[in-house]
Parts: sequence; C-alpha cells; structure tokens
Amino acid sequence: MPFLGMHRGPFWREFDQLRREMDRLHSVASQGSRVGFAPMGRGALFPLLNVKESPREFVITAEIPGISGEDLDISVEGSTVTLKGERRPDDFGTEASYHRRERTSGSFQRCLTLPSKVDPDRVKAHYRKGVLTLTLAKPVEAQPRQIAVESE
Amino acid sequence: MADHELQVSEKKEVATEQGELTREGTYFLPAVDILETEKELIVMADIPGVDSKDVEIDLKDDTLSIVGRVVGEEPSDAAYLLTEYPIGNYFRSFKITDVVDQPKIKASIADGVLKLVLPKAAKAIPRKIPVTTE
Repeated sequence: MPFLGMHRGPFWREFDQLRREMDRLHSVASQGSRVGFAPMGRGALFPLLNVKESPREFVITAEIPGISGEDLDISVEGSTVTLKGERRPDDFGTEASYHRRERTSGSFQRCLTLPSKVDPDRVKAHYRKGVLTLTLAKPVEAQPRQIAVESE
Repeated sequence: MADHELQVSEKKEVATEQGELTREGTYFLPAVDILETEKELIVMADIPGVDSKDVEIDLKDDTLSIVGRVVGEEPSDAAYLLTEYPIGNYFRSFKITDVVDQPKIKASIADGVLKLVLPKAAKAIPRKIPVTTE
C-alpha cells in the first residue's frame, strides 16, 4: 500500500524499512511459527533481545551489562531458548551515599521460541563488553538447500 | 537469587539541547549511579557494547562528560527476526559540584560498565571540627 506516490527522500526510506519489517513479522506470525514479539513498554521482559536469522544460524544478542558469566544460565530445548540470570548490586560499603541510582539489579528469566529447531550441541554463548551473543546453528535438515535445475 | 525481578528500561535518546554532538549516529543516555564516599565521588554507567578505547571522558570547568561509541557493528545479510533494542552510542554529562582532584581521576570499564573514580581535592574532604565545652 504505497501511501504517497511521490519521490521519496532518505527520510521515507526509514519508514519503508520499518513497514517492511512489520509486514515480515506479521507474515512470520501468521504462518504459525512463533517468534516472541514483545511490544515495547508494558509487558516487555528483561533482557530485551535482538534476533537475526541467516540460512545457517540464529544470532540472539542482549545487552546485560555488569553481570558475570556464572550468573547466567542458558538452556536450549527444541526451538526454545531460556535465559536466566541475576544482576547483583554493587557493593560500596555502608559509608557510601547515593546521589542517583538508575542502574537496577535483580533476577531475570526469559524464553524465546525460534521459528525452527536448533542443534543443541552447536550453541555458542559469548559475553563481552556487557553484550551477550548466542549463536545457535540450525540442524542440517532445517538449512535451505540449493537445488540445481538440470536442463536436458 | 534476588527477590525482585529486573525491569526493562528502554533506552532514552539524547535530546539535542543536552549535547552538542555534531557527529553522526544515535546517542543514548546511559543509566548511571552516582555515589559519594568521604574521599571520592564514584560514577557507574552502563554502556554495553563499548570498548575501553572508544570511551572519552572530559572534565571541563565543572562539567563532566562521558562519550562511548559502539563500533564494529558490521552489517550482515542476516535478516532481523526481532529488534527490541536499538544500538547506538552513549552520551551523558554532569555538573560536578565538589572540588575534584583532576589528575587523579581514574576510569575503568568491565563488562560494559564504566566506573569513574573522582577523588575529592583535599579542601573538599570534610574535616571534623572538635567541639569543646568550656
């Protein structure tokens, strides 16, 4: 549905991109594959996730600054990934007085179901610079195969 | 486990009047903790995705500013299935009201958390004044 039949400047490109993403998300959702799409604002769960898909793998990233690796618990079952963890508060002793406290602490748990199964033996988790990156390889049977067309 | 759940906090973009950054890119306000002990001021800022070499800390007069740049986000042909958080640089500035010993400011970064330790200058450290009874 083109809503303006004019020349589009770079300003509109952003909107077009957004609209395409929305359309694609809708089509993914209506196909019955469940991609957890949490609307921003109320009801969103920590941590917020970005998920990318390529023919061979899924890459999930989350910004979780200030935790340690042992406070993170990641499990994969079928096509569902579960992230659990805890962000501990800093300890500066009792004599420190806070002027401002915006950084929160607490525990979190989040599940995400991907559109296809992943190979549980080929999941890589990487925590660097406060960003968790999960690389989940698709099993061979879920990877797209190029089929060559033979002409006689 | 902690008895409370971590809440989602959305990234807030830097309003144009707050910073005069002419450089390209999106800037977000990092969440910070500011605390004070007897001898120092401590600033903790969440800047996930920023390398130590991409942090700039500047103290001019009484304004402390923090800039963190996220680099190395290589574009790939992978399609996004879900984008819940935006990725961008960080900027925040503060007015420091205490007298700070500028050359002794220390900054470190670990797991996406920047820690700034600003030692108070000798004259800003409170002195106990003994009260005598006559």
